[in-house]
Amino acid sequence: MATSNPSAFLLTVNGQIEGANFPEYDNLYCKYCFVYGHDWAPTSGLEEGITQITCKGSQSSHKLIWNFPLETTFKSTNPSGWPQLVVSVYGPDVFGNDVVRGYGATHIPFTPGQHTRTMPMFVPEPTWRLQKFTSWLLGRRPEYTDPKVVAQGEGREVTRVRSQGFVTVSFHIITKDMKKLGYDTGPSSSANTPSATSGWSTEEQPHIM
Amino acid sequence: MAELHIIGQIVGATGFPQNSLFCKWGVHTGGAWRLLSGLKEGQTQVDVPQTGDTAYWSHPIDLHYATKGLQGWPKLHLQVWHQDSFGRCELYGYGYCHVPSSPGHHRINCGTWRPLGSWQERLAQTFVGGGPQLRSPDLIYSGADRYRLHTEAMGTVELELGIVMRHLDKYGVES
Repeated sequence: MATSNPSAFLLTVNGQIEGANFPEYDNLYCKYCFVYGHDWAPTSGLEEGITQITCKGSQSSHKLIWNFPLETTFKSTNPSGWPQLVVSVYGPDVFGNDVVRGYGATHIPFTPGQHTRTMPMFVPEPTWRLQKFTSWLLGRRPEYTDPKVVAQGEGREVTRVRSQGFVTVSFHIITKDMKKLGYDTGPSSSANTPSATSGWSTEEQPHIM
Repeated sequence: MAELHIIGQIVGATGFPQNSLFCKWGVHTGGAWRLLSGLKEGQTQVDVPQTGDTAYWSHPIDLHYATKGLQGWPKLHLQVWHQDSFGRCELYGYGYCHVPSSPGHHRINCGTWRPLGSWQERLAQTFVGGGPQLRSPDLIYSGADRYRLHTEAMGTVELELGIVMRHLDKYGVES
């Protein structure tokens, strides 16, 4: 294997979209896709997909479980534009129309090992009360024309959103040749590191000021 | 030249008097640092949480710096604002934190503070909102003239920052 002078490194993402926590909605499915910068290219696996429709179980009243597999490998020369997983959750409203229940995004972790991420989900919110009522009546809620917008930071100054749920994803990360190219990504994690706030994890995190 | 990648997000804020918050953020560095790619300042969306009191932004940060020296290590400064239903904006807090200096994934809770006016200004503030603001945002991350300020504590902003370093160990830097 001639890898003494690699020009690119590989990132392998194995994981699953475990499930969601939406207190007020049921019968949800989720679409996911990966968003990455110009220096990145997927080499194997699927870049996007749709899960099954799931509903809350009779035992636990608020958990929705998808257990949907993610397996993708990326190749890059530069950590800028590190891939993000963008998730959009949809479900039926009172009249049976399919409406969006939340968008969310998280960076793929870059230290090798196992990680769990809890992503808050938000929907764009109409500003006028009348618009809110007509969109509820007609089933045409405000949506993003391209969900990848959620992965970018520009242009968000004028949007107003409402956060209404969480999606939990777990990752097993493997990287190849990052050290050979000089990149130091810190110690690999050996245990679960739950992130963000409530949702499914209830650990207290130490404050770092 | 050594390189530093800051990859993460501004997750959200909690502990403020009202929800419907947004955050203006920026990264300040010294003269030896050069930004190669990414946006070093921005403004998040306005979030009105449906359940709970934490406003979630999930605003992505992806910065790539090259540096010739350790002075002026990047600092992330924040201003949390509240937007009410009429579209008026009111300052809720200033805060800053240093970008972590060890590679890996970090979760940071950044406390915020707000300047406190005289008792007349505070009385007016309870009725019509508003309040004193800093004339120059440099004071958020520098300690130069802070002794003149009287401030009150506000909520905390939660950040998740991942740090990737390149070639810093070649220059003998230990972190």
